[in-house]
Amino acid sequence: MAIVRTRAQWLLLAAGLIFLVTLGLYASGEWMNWLIMVGIYAVATLGMHIMTGLCGQFSMGQSAFMALGAYTTAYLTTRYGVSPWITLPLSGLVAGLGGLVFGIPALRIKGFYLVLTTIAAQFVIMWAIRQQSWLGETYGIQGIPKVMIGGLAVSGFTREGWWLTLAIVVIMLFIAKNIQRTTTGRKFVAVRDNDLAAEVMGINLFRTKLLAFFIGCFFAGIAGWLWAHCLRTITPDLFTFQLSLWFLGMIIVGGMGSTSGAVMGAVAIMLVDKAGPSLSNVVREAFPSLKYQVSSGLTLILFAVVVIFFLLIEPKGLYHRLERIKLYYRLNPFAY
Amino acid sequence: MGDVLAQGLLVGGVYALIALGFILVFKSSGVLNLAHGQVIAILSYFLYQIVAVWGLPAWLGILLVILFGAFLAFLIERLAVRPLLGQPFLSVMMMTLMLSMLLKGVGLVVWGADSFTLPFTPRGQWTIGFADGIHVNVVPAAAISFVAGMVIFLLLMLLFRYTKVGLSMRVVAADHEVAQSLGIRVKRVFSISWAISGAFAAVCGVLVGMVFTVTPIMGDVILGKGLPVLLLGGLTSIPGAVVGGLIIGLAEAMGSYYASDLKEIVPWIVMLVILLIRPYGLFGEKRIERI
Repeated sequence: MAIVRTRAQWLLLAAGLIFLVTLGLYASGEWMNWLIMVGIYAVATLGMHIMTGLCGQFSMGQSAFMALGAYTTAYLTTRYGVSPWITLPLSGLVAGLGGLVFGIPALRIKGFYLVLTTIAAQFVIMWAIRQQSWLGETYGIQGIPKVMIGGLAVSGFTREGWWLTLAIVVIMLFIAKNIQRTTTGRKFVAVRDNDLAAEVMGINLFRTKLLAFFIGCFFAGIAGWLWAHCLRTITPDLFTFQLSLWFLGMIIVGGMGSTSGAVMGAVAIMLVDKAGPSLSNVVREAFPSLKYQVSSGLTLILFAVVVIFFLLIEPKGLYHRLERIKLYYRLNPFAY
Repeated sequence: MGDVLAQGLLVGGVYALIALGFILVFKSSGVLNLAHGQVIAILSYFLYQIVAVWGLPAWLGILLVILFGAFLAFLIERLAVRPLLGQPFLSVMMMTLMLSMLLKGVGLVVWGADSFTLPFTPRGQWTIGFADGIHVNVVPAAAISFVAGMVIFLLLMLLFRYTKVGLSMRVVAADHEVAQSLGIRVKRVFSISWAISGAFAAVCGVLVGMVFTVTPIMGDVILGKGLPVLLLGGLTSIPGAVVGGLIIGLAEAMGSYYASDLKEIVPWIVMLVILLIRPYGLFGEKRIERI
């Protein structure tokens, strides 16, 4: 069962790629910025999808693992002059290993105790990073070099940066979809649905859960690598608990068990993030007595309202809604 | 050193009170209300608004905030938690996480990013003298909070043991079907326990606002102190919360005495250790599934 099966799917894939390339050619300024951030967060959300959506291991520490990846590449490229292409797999690896460390308790505790462990992981990792003087303490690392192909700089919030981001997102999406359709992916789903039954069937729970953590955090590390090279200066304040909550919101809104859902969720939440400041301008004109912090507060409120709406009305996310619409058209005029 | 330890012990009382709010809701409706920290923060801000901006007297402000807290928690239970009644536990927890973001956003919009101190915060230092001429200096706000916390803890024990409301909450916590067969309206007990937890949050808001200041990140800080205490004591045990609060308060004080940057991380490390060794806490029930 291939990933792209029918001719219609090939055509859609080609159309999608053409659309994204055209977006890159015509976007500029803050929309280009936004597109690249969507790409970065989409990769991290794909990691969340594998860990949480496929395998059911809730992780509230995704942004800390992104930080691990980002700091790895930042440190290696600035202190030792290693090429960014070599640090790409390395930052994924370091983040994955960090995920392994916090995944080891996943064997003994389940459900919301694991959530609490990963929340603790988020704070402990960021505190540990903040203490190290060789990681720049609270000032972070500056002067991260751009990623070069030949003489062309392909990172940063520019058009070339979009090509790199797009390439990485497509490759990681391909990897995620591939993982889903192999034995490993089916093991993940079995563990999510009923891990006692999975163990009885002969699936090694220890190895499967650890692998889910490793892969999910590997994706987060790659996303961190991309972010570090686009921003070129990273500080510990970029990787907050709120960002981890955003990733959770992205998979809730997009749909927890599907890769397309993860990407859709990332796009939807980033749209909300974009709408926040514009909405806050409207609000500030209506209520001139409000303080200046309206923009960030309003973004939080909007994000929370959107996710709560999805939790109450459509808990399976946008992807499920899309599938239902497709089903309707396929079955029309019959009901089932 | 003695001062630091005494301060830690007293602050631990406040932490225990925060954890009690979590336990109340968890014991009766089985929901871990991760928005509790943010509710406390919003109520603290609201108290500041009432007392400092609108100039009402302190006792009236506290009373109003308690009523408002109960009402807010009741609203949360009705609108956000009850629709998710049959769903897996993690959906409800995600809902409470999103609610906490909503409340944080509201706080930012209405009150901005400034920090405030509550105007009735006592100043100076008090000295507590023990028998052999040993004195410890403590911050009076912490001492008041500790005493208030112990009084509330006693009231809560009385509530659970001797009143009809408390008894019905315990029955609902044990088994919903048995409770229904006894004629107890389970959904009403849910609402009542959330409302009481909201009133608790208001009291915590007053005390936390006195001991620490009212800041925009206060909700996350409170959650960060309340969760370790909750896990250390056990999710369903009220004495456990008090013991856990005192232990974490002491540990935090000792940590800050040896290295100033250890202060924020000690509760989280204690929580990690507890989760690895004994996830149900010191006094909790052994109801964790493990494979």
